[in-house]
Amino acid sequence: MVRYIIRRLLWMVVLLAIVSTVAFMIFYALPSADPAVLRAGRQGTPELIAQIRHNLGLDQPLYVQYFTYMKAIVLHFDFGYSYQNSANVREQIMSRLPATISLTGGAVVVWLAIGLPIGIISAIKRRTPLDRMTMGGALLAISAPVYWLGLVALYLFSRDIGVIPLFAGANSYQPLTQNPAAWFDSLLLPWLVLAASFAAFYARLLRSNLIEVMSEDYIRTARAKGLSERRVVLRHGVRAAITPIVTVLGLDIGILLGGAILTESVFNIPGVGRFAFDAIGRADLPVIQGTVLFGAFFIIVANIVVDIGYAFLDPRVRYS
Amino acid sequence: MTHRRPMIARRSVARRLAVVCAGAAALALGACAHKSKTGPTSSGGGATTSAGFDAAVPGSDQKKGGTLKLLSTESFEHLDPGAAYFQLDFMIEFATQRSLYYYKPQDAKTPVPDLADGPPTVAADNKTVTVKLKHGVKYGTNDTSSSVNGKEVKAADVKYALERGFNPSVANGYVATYFKSIVGADKAKGADLAGITTPDDYTIVFKLTQPLGATVAKALVMAITMPVPKSYAAKFDAKQPNEYDAHPEKQAFSGPYMIKSSAPGKSLTLVRNPNWDPATDDRPAYADQIEWTLGADPNVSGRQILTGTGVVNGDTPTAASIKRFATTAKDQISFSPQGNRFVNINTQKKPFSDLNVRKAFAAALDRKAMQLTRGGSLVGDVATHFLPPSLAGFDEAGGVDGPGADYLANPSGDPALAASYMKKAGYSSGKYDGPAIRMLGENSSPAKETSAVVRRALESLGFKVNLTSVEQSAFYSKFCDVVSQLKKIDVCANYGWLPDFADPYAMLNANFNGESIVPVNNSNASLFDDKKVNAAMDKAALIADPAERAKAWGDVDRELVANVAAVPWFWDNIPNIRSKDVHGVIAQWNAAWDLSYMSLK
Repeated sequence: MVRYIIRRLLWMVVLLAIVSTVAFMIFYALPSADPAVLRAGRQGTPELIAQIRHNLGLDQPLYVQYFTYMKAIVLHFDFGYSYQNSANVREQIMSRLPATISLTGGAVVVWLAIGLPIGIISAIKRRTPLDRMTMGGALLAISAPVYWLGLVALYLFSRDIGVIPLFAGANSYQPLTQNPAAWFDSLLLPWLVLAASFAAFYARLLRSNLIEVMSEDYIRTARAKGLSERRVVLRHGVRAAITPIVTVLGLDIGILLGGAILTESVFNIPGVGRFAFDAIGRADLPVIQGTVLFGAFFIIVANIVVDIGYAFLDPRVRYS
Repeated sequence: MTHRRPMIARRSVARRLAVVCAGAAALALGACAHKSKTGPTSSGGGATTSAGFDAAVPGSDQKKGGTLKLLSTESFEHLDPGAAYFQLDFMIEFATQRSLYYYKPQDAKTPVPDLADGPPTVAADNKTVTVKLKHGVKYGTNDTSSSVNGKEVKAADVKYALERGFNPSVANGYVATYFKSIVGADKAKGADLAGITTPDDYTIVFKLTQPLGATVAKALVMAITMPVPKSYAAKFDAKQPNEYDAHPEKQAFSGPYMIKSSAPGKSLTLVRNPNWDPATDDRPAYADQIEWTLGADPNVSGRQILTGTGVVNGDTPTAASIKRFATTAKDQISFSPQGNRFVNINTQKKPFSDLNVRKAFAAALDRKAMQLTRGGSLVGDVATHFLPPSLAGFDEAGGVDGPGADYLANPSGDPALAASYMKKAGYSSGKYDGPAIRMLGENSSPAKETSAVVRRALESLGFKVNLTSVEQSAFYSKFCDVVSQLKKIDVCANYGWLPDFADPYAMLNANFNGESIVPVNNSNASLFDDKKVNAAMDKAALIADPAERAKAWGDVDRELVANVAAVPWFWDNIPNIRSKDVHGVIAQWNAAWDLSYMSLK
């Protein structure tokens, strides 16, 4: 197992290097703006632009720029500074990470708490009105775009602009360390909105897996042994049916830690996703690179965790 | 709003306007012709225009206290007064620092002394400008133990502020344009400038290589003249990135407010500057504290402003918000005329090197439809020439009706006239029959829709159009501001300009003087280079007398229209919205709230 983890971690380094190279090349290959010109402003003289280009190292060959950038990351964990506002990229990402983790973590709890029970109930109450109702609701939730759902939720339920004032509205995010109660209050609605489509998807996925698993021979054997239906479903059925859920969950968490852009935008939660989105519009390469690398890091780590988790969930899986 | 990004989709304008009218499809408010150019119908709080919109001017019943809140989608770019070049940045700069001169909120044409103790003295030869400074203006810092805290502003601080603008670590975007005539500026890199001297602590003298004193005097309203004490700031300026910009809360503040905290992309808080002496300043500084939340969704913030308390917009509201306010809360929305938009056509390349083809294109263009793509008459008027109503020379160039060119007479376009000009150009059928032309446009709304109207006009004249649509910043920095690219482009559809200061020079010279054509960051996207017009501009820049100057620049504007240097189509009217309990005051020169004049009711 240890050798496996070490091997995966080494692969992670290789993957991150590939991701950084691709992001770097895409930035230069596509017709995005010239950072030196943007920094110089609309009246910047050619001499000023040349100076800025020199200061930013943009007058160096591409491979030198890339090497310099990667060297700073590897040796000093330095992601450079924003072309847009001179802010330190690492500090910016780190200061935004707690908001993204808060949003993702809470939403994961909500969607698992809603999605898994619904999936199980729908599977064991197959073709009943309850099944049809929950699956119909799930289809609706999956179909609703997060941005639209966020706006509707705010217009309906936020305390400042909502018709039924229940939750804190947009622009109200408070860090956990500053005010735990306000943190919880400000994230309740975003959690529900972000979790809605995930919960629906997980419910549908678990339902179909569980229906398939429940027709397996070993389930029939378990029943024949006289185990209670509850024990058969939860201990033998769900445990096997949940493996694909863990795979997807790992990826989803990784992706959301890289930034839940739409939810962060509509609720103005100062997370990494919004940071990346703004940077793309402004051709802010250091921020784009930094956020892409962080996103890739989380996705890869989540995959490793998922793979390790398999060994515990599924006795058939062993790593050597 | 307008960021020196377009006033216009705001990345195209000289200085950037914050993003405007996100996603604006036509607002269908054509019936609500804007009246923002008319004066208020009453004085004091709640003054409105004749159309019922908020006049947003100072009142006699404003009172001190409270916390004013702003919401914006956009973030600040540079809060260093030497680097600031964006509408939002200027809102903060002019509340926390003091320039030599500034514009009072309701008068965007007349600079008044701020740090200066009177109007600038321009020598008879127009090559020396002298400014006297007020006594008793002091710096405030967050760190009260700082050596500069409580120290008086001296002329040397203004000198250093200008000098550091040439320092690549500050990288001011306009100092080399408006102050290039200062002796030594052509080779300046941030060190001592021989052309700026301080005979005593309260006098600063600018010596120029050319007789451009009148233009330099006008430019002394810019943020680059805000004082920066060298003894304090030099250590920040030596770092890359510059810490005076990266950590604006460390600055020495001369204005009524200080930046207490700044979280890039998230928030900014202003508090009172304890060392600010109101006896030296006309600004009332009513609010005790100003809190700015960045990154807000524009659709949500529009509603929060409408139903909330103490909140105003920081950047331009969405089309839906404008419509909602204009129909249900007219007294909470105001409009400010600012800047101009025009379609650039390559005047050095066939077929548009032919004046008659350019006239045909101007005649074919449906500027009324283009106006609708931006939100209709509420957010701007169909332009008939280049100088907008907010600038001197507007009336001299023909006012609202324009200079009288027949090809701009019909705002909805005149196909028959267009065909007649095409015939004059040698296209006997009235249609172009040459090879396809290349047009650059933007790929986001509302500029995308504007490009579609331009394309339709070209196609109506027989042109086959190859349209390249790109993201706004790339539109300028990779294509329409790069001469090597412009040589391969026939039409740049989405150009706009917000003048840096209230003078026609700042509007016309950069866009249409042949001398402004430079390989990169070129702002003359039509590549228009007419010796007669260049000479007229050079001459107009030297004139000091306001009336004569306005007349000269008005004549330049007429010449530009006669030559179809580009096709003007829109004079922007920037909307701003506020909560009911806010007394809003617009700084007309910046088309944005003047934080030093705002108050809570």
